[in-house]
Amino acid sequence: MLFSPGWRAASGQGSILAFFTAGLLLGGALSGLAVWLLSGLSEPIPQGGRAAAVAAVAATGVLREFGVLRLSLPQNARQIPLEVLQRRPRLGPMQFGFELGTGVRTYVTSSAPYMAALALLLSHPALAAATAAGLGFGLGRALTAATVLWSRDPEWNARAAARMPLLTRLAVTALAAALLTAAVG
Amino acid sequence: MPVTSATAGAVRRAITDPLVPVVLVAMAAVAAAARDSMVLGWATVGALAGYSLSGSV
Repeated sequence: MLFSPGWRAASGQGSILAFFTAGLLLGGALSGLAVWLLSGLSEPIPQGGRAAAVAAVAATGVLREFGVLRLSLPQNARQIPLEVLQRRPRLGPMQFGFELGTGVRTYVTSSAPYMAALALLLSHPALAAATAAGLGFGLGRALTAATVLWSRDPEWNARAAARMPLLTRLAVTALAAALLTAAVG
Repeated sequence: MPVTSATAGAVRRAITDPLVPVVLVAMAAVAAAARDSMVLGWATVGALAGYSLSGSV
């Protein structure tokens, strides 16, 4: 748990969020850069072929998320140890955020990160775009923590868990729509 | 002012609903793709991927 149980009245939760977010952004940027470097391998594929592959990735992700297609994807099936978070008051949340931000240090429960990473690999966009995708990933993860903090609702996690299937399906559908729109355009 | 406080609580609860961020980022992602905005488009794609992993924090 990122925020202490006394978050409703305690000070300093904003700084935990700031360090956690900084770590997420660093981790996301690093992963974006790594995927961009690998994406150079797809450059010899003709533009039309790459656009078709991105469209296939988008469709596969949606079908998987809606349960039409059963497809297990690789993931690091472990929790980031809580000691990472608790060891140091500022660097702990930052390191925890960094590990989460890389997207490869813990469970990946949605098709969306795979769709984004594969689309990035196949598209080989400019470095700025790949970095933006990585930073966006970190920001997206930070949005969860920020919303928890702003909500002042101890039941927020339970509310999110109840809506998780709808939430991930919305995210995956919108992500596919964005990828298809960009591929067609 | 308990009524005001209750109203503020309800508003806060509504605007911090777990679905609100995903709807906003989804609209931004599709709009950015439609406008051929490369950097913003990829940033929103990344944000959707990140937020879709909303777990317990």
